[in-house]
Amino acid sequence: MKINILFFAGIREMFGIHEKCIEIKESKTSPEKLLKFLSEKEQGSWVELLNSKDSIRVAINQEISNWGDSLKDGDELAFFPPITGG
Amino acid sequence: MTICIQKDLFNIEKIISNLRKNKPSIGAIVSFIGYVRDFNKDKNTKKLKHMNLEHYPGMTEKKLIKIELNAKSRWSLEDVFIIHRVGKLLPSDPIVAVVVASQHRKNAFEACEFIIDFLKTDAPFWKKEISDQDELWVENRLEDHQKIASWNIKE
Repeated sequence: MKINILFFAGIREMFGIHEKCIEIKESKTSPEKLLKFLSEKEQGSWVELLNSKDSIRVAINQEISNWGDSLKDGDELAFFPPITGG
Repeated sequence: MTICIQKDLFNIEKIISNLRKNKPSIGAIVSFIGYVRDFNKDKNTKKLKHMNLEHYPGMTEKKLIKIELNAKSRWSLEDVFIIHRVGKLLPSDPIVAVVVASQHRKNAFEACEFIIDFLKTDAPFWKKEISDQDELWVENRLEDHQKIASWNIKE
């Protein structure tokens, strides 16, 4: 399955990129499982992201979601810090 | 109803006059405008040079529409206009405006407060403060979340 991952604000700076498309063998995953998988496989900023997981929000297809929610092929997954607009 | 996210400066008088055009039923307009302050948290030691505002295109618009629809289901409103700027903003620059039109003032006052309260916690915008000493992403405020809880609304 393919997942398009977006990074915003401090997390975008941490990765140095805004967007990353990944392809994994699994047909079922969640933001939490995916993050753990990527931090083991690719390390680097993914480990940092996993360590700060408690202060990070996730959105699936532009809706605020939970870490355990399921991801399907073609989903857009976004990681971002708490919102500070207005 | 209008949602607008842009880099450019906005003109509040024009927004209001456009909102009122051909709508003689409007008896009240309440507007909130948020500006960039010239100081940040450590105002005694740092001076703000500018701010960078980032957002999540697509999700931002969806969230703002949802907030607006929630307001409209709660109060009888004639029209709503929400505009939020992104990119580089200098001290004293306007960042955001929420303009609410209704037949009577109470609905416009309450709905305007409701919309800006939810915009601050639900619409995916992030601010970075660039001072004469460092660059820091602004942290969210507990007060904003407490204010949201006081509206007693469930998603």
